[in-house]
Amino acid sequence: MKKIVVLIVLVMMAIIALTACAPAPTPTPVPPTPAPKPTDAPKPTTAPATTAPQPTAAPKPTDVPKPALRTKANPGEKITLYHFGDVTGPLAAITTPLVSGFNDGAKYWNGKGGIRGAEIVVEWADTASKVELAIAAYNRFREKKPLIMQMYGSGETEALKDRLAEDKIPVLTAGVSSKGSYPPGYVFAVVPIYTDQFGLFLDWLVPNWDKVKPAKGQALDSPKIAVVTWDSAYGRDALTAETRAYAEKKGVKIVGQELFTPGAPDVTTQILAAKKAGANVIYTNSLAHGPAQILKDAVSLGVRDEFMIAGSNWSLDLSMLALAGAASEGYYGVFPNLWWDDTTHPGVKIIQGEFTTNQRKPAERSVGYLLSFTFVDAMKQYIEKTIDRVGFEGLTGAAVYETIQATPELKPMEGIQSFDFGKDKRAPSKARIVQVQKGKFIYLTDWMTAPDLKPK
Amino acid sequence: MALRLAGDFDTSYAHDMAIIRNRGQWGMTIAFLIGLFALPFFADGHVIGTLNLIGISIIAVIGLNILLGYTGQISLGQAAFMAVGAYSAAVLVKAGVSFWLALPISGLVAGLVGLLFGLPSLRIKGFYLAMATLSAQMIIPWFFRNVRTDIFGGMPGLTMQPPRLGEIVFNSQATMYFPIMLTVVVCVIAAKNIARTRLGRALIAIRDNDLAAEVLGIAQFSHKLRAFFLSALYAGLAGALWAMYARTINPDQFSLLNSVWYLGMVIVGGMGSALGPILGAAFVRVLEEVTVQLAPVLSKLFPQLEAGLLAALGPITFGIALMLFLVFEPRGLAHRWELIKAAWRLRPFAH
Amino acid sequence: MNWDLFPQFLATGLLTGGIYSLIALGLVLIYKSSRVFNFAQGHLLMVGAFTTWWFSENLGWNVWLAFAVAIGVSALIGLLVERVALRPLIGQPILATVMMTLALAQTLQGAAIIVFGAYQRSLPALFPIQPLVLGDVRLKLNLALAFALAMLGFVVFVFFFRFTRAGLAMRAAAEDHQLAQSVGLSVPRIFGMAWAIASVVATMCGVLLANISGVELNLSIIALKAFPAVLFGGLESVPGAIVGGLTVGVIESLVGGLPQDPALRALHLGDIAPYIFMLIVLWFRPDGLFGLKRIERI
Repeated sequence: MKKIVVLIVLVMMAIIALTACAPAPTPTPVPPTPAPKPTDAPKPTTAPATTAPQPTAAPKPTDVPKPALRTKANPGEKITLYHFGDVTGPLAAITTPLVSGFNDGAKYWNGKGGIRGAEIVVEWADTASKVELAIAAYNRFREKKPLIMQMYGSGETEALKDRLAEDKIPVLTAGVSSKGSYPPGYVFAVVPIYTDQFGLFLDWLVPNWDKVKPAKGQALDSPKIAVVTWDSAYGRDALTAETRAYAEKKGVKIVGQELFTPGAPDVTTQILAAKKAGANVIYTNSLAHGPAQILKDAVSLGVRDEFMIAGSNWSLDLSMLALAGAASEGYYGVFPNLWWDDTTHPGVKIIQGEFTTNQRKPAERSVGYLLSFTFVDAMKQYIEKTIDRVGFEGLTGAAVYETIQATPELKPMEGIQSFDFGKDKRAPSKARIVQVQKGKFIYLTDWMTAPDLKPK
Repeated sequence: MALRLAGDFDTSYAHDMAIIRNRGQWGMTIAFLIGLFALPFFADGHVIGTLNLIGISIIAVIGLNILLGYTGQISLGQAAFMAVGAYSAAVLVKAGVSFWLALPISGLVAGLVGLLFGLPSLRIKGFYLAMATLSAQMIIPWFFRNVRTDIFGGMPGLTMQPPRLGEIVFNSQATMYFPIMLTVVVCVIAAKNIARTRLGRALIAIRDNDLAAEVLGIAQFSHKLRAFFLSALYAGLAGALWAMYARTINPDQFSLLNSVWYLGMVIVGGMGSALGPILGAAFVRVLEEVTVQLAPVLSKLFPQLEAGLLAALGPITFGIALMLFLVFEPRGLAHRWELIKAAWRLRPFAH
Repeated sequence: MNWDLFPQFLATGLLTGGIYSLIALGLVLIYKSSRVFNFAQGHLLMVGAFTTWWFSENLGWNVWLAFAVAIGVSALIGLLVERVALRPLIGQPILATVMMTLALAQTLQGAAIIVFGAYQRSLPALFPIQPLVLGDVRLKLNLALAFALAMLGFVVFVFFFRFTRAGLAMRAAAEDHQLAQSVGLSVPRIFGMAWAIASVVATMCGVLLANISGVELNLSIIALKAFPAVLFGGLESVPGAIVGGLTVGVIESLVGGLPQDPALRALHLGDIAPYIFMLIVLWFRPDGLFGLKRIERI
């Protein structure tokens, strides 16, 4: 016992030392953080003992017809959730909070009794955006017969898609390219695929054009869109044959696609070329630095009021706000989930509470942390539904896959997201349009349903 | 120095030329090969997967070694030539050609592309040639990204169906292991023998002093081109196998950084030796795999710490291990292996 | 073709090219003195930007003060890198040093994540975000000022190499190591100085870039653009680095901006044009525009 106390003290000292070394960028004062820790830490560790019996006692006894399924975990039984993504490579800034959120989510649910009494264990791996490392991580995890996995990169998801189907391992992925999600396999996208998002944006833009069109600019009678975006698989996924046809049907002109390299310090050439081509709307399918650079360069060219600028969901994040600063004002986007500012929402409340308890840094208060916390709940619920159906003995990847497919609606974390996967549906399609106003995301619409623009 | 085993005399020309010189060595070689091909029946998928990746890297690195180690021409385009091989294989398989036929064809296609980018070597040397190959590294993936996206799939790339042989589908690590290792063995033997032929010796002469070689009657340009062709051919084979290994290929998988790491593997292994590429590829890949696994283990010990901080220990350990290695072993692993072998053969007389 | 925008694209290209030339300068300095091609230059740049951010954001210093201190820190980093990583390799095969800089890049990447965190940060603005309108040409004020600072940096370095003792010693060492030794110059010390200066240049460049696009790990990627730049100019020439950098910037901007056909624009030609141009240059001038032609004897 003594040893454990000493160990905990040592660990905490190490943590305090590390948090002191590592940067704490926002004005949040550092001193109060070490204080609550000793009192907070024991809570989750003692909680399971008291709360564990509750969920297991409630639901099952009514289910008589099948021969006694075991829906309660044996003592010491564990369920492992696997996830891997780029934590040290080019996408590190985006993925790191995802990993933290996932770990904290698992910890939170363990405090609430785990999955039907089984402890949630998390295993993760870093891929540094290298496909060979992703395949290696997959090989490692595959040996352990995972029930479900979480992935973050489009490229990794696409490379592993066929294997996942062969090995019957369902995956929730945040890299929601159309090629990764369709034709339907074992990959389930956690937000609408980029083509659908673009379609939803068009659905909203056309009737609202008179309200949202830029103050000045050219040919303002109708929207003329230039897609200014990253030259990457992700960046190019918004503008496909399907979305072009859809725009034409809607009477929206796509004047061109302007590409830039991720990290390019200057996109004025692209913006001016778009202007020359007659655009009055810029849509981007890039994240963090991408939309920020477009916004800042539009301001520094003095053409900001000639364009309406919008983007897909990942562009709406803390990093974009931080990088673009005041230039982010007025930016539109497609938003398929709730946000930290929805402080009255019960799910967001829980996550905010855990975020504080686990002393995460302000820079981690991103879309990644919020969503991956939610993913854990989604996985938990899918697995629980599977257990109800087939019991602990029948718990396999294939069984979980069946459950995901057969669940018409799932609202993890009280509806921070909403999943409605089906036989041929591999991505949700509900989203709202938001606008950045004074550094906050303000919802402009109610939930809308995206058109189905998946590749043929 | 090539130290011979005691009592091992060249009694015939054939024996003089032999790589495997006596019964003991034959026995060891056969035992090694049996062990190599029996491995998938014992090891788990992850180990075999790592070996597959090492195998593919070995092929690419052997090719680079022909160019860099034997001919002294730096190439920063090995990954791009791999891309050519991978795309050729994927396109051919899509068109209905058997993978087993597509494999050598994609090697040849890559070789021809390599030849094209080797042309500047007529006039350029050293780092400037490296830059010519750098432009290959940039232009080739750009080509696959943008040109004829109906054939090459554009940015998202192509997916290749797993090859078949009768009833066997090569879609698991254990099944892929056999074609990969077989190709590795063939490539190693071929490379070893290329180095011993007139061509290999001519290449070495060009490396050591190109003008002197020219004076001795070695047509520099055509020999350099042959080296480029061979190097890209190996890269193409590696690329085709990679397409089988990765299933889905896209231009991002063949980045400059990959090329540079192949260069690194040649250097770590030891330039201009047959063993070097094998040791180099294995060393770098295993180090990478080990350091990547470090972070998740640590995060179980310190769950409060941000995952990113722990993951960052991966690249740091990797970088520092490589630095230490270079400080203590700048001539590569193969060099050390020769020293160990020599010390063993001279035992107990160290000098 | 968007010919009416030609002056616009030309000017933008020149300004961006100024940043590329500054990165190229760092590469040239190290190559010239020690024959090492530094693949870690981009990572030095990234670390420099993060250091400045750290001082200004974490300690609450004025940005310019933070910038100045970061320059001092980066000089130390340069010295340290040379002493710990590169000096043990003196006399070893040249390619081992290339590998060493790669290992260094990995280490710096990991160290930056541990010390600064992997997140995107914004630097307090050195220059305001607003347009600079010159006739028909609209430029980004921050980019224009960054260009001016970069060029000022160049002038300082030219004076340094022309007129200071240390600068002259470095030039002498670049010419011939043995000769320099024999006239009493310490070549290892000169190597150290070259690395320190290269690291300072990288930091300058990193901060100027971060002021435009933010502080992040991926700042290191931009060093790739400097590779063709050093080649145009020749690996051993400081004026070549300027000309090379500007050329790459201009080509990228013109080829990226001028074509009007959407099909052509979708090819993202600006990205690849510098490399195609590089191939052509190498064909006609195998040693770059300003490179030294070495006469070989058997």
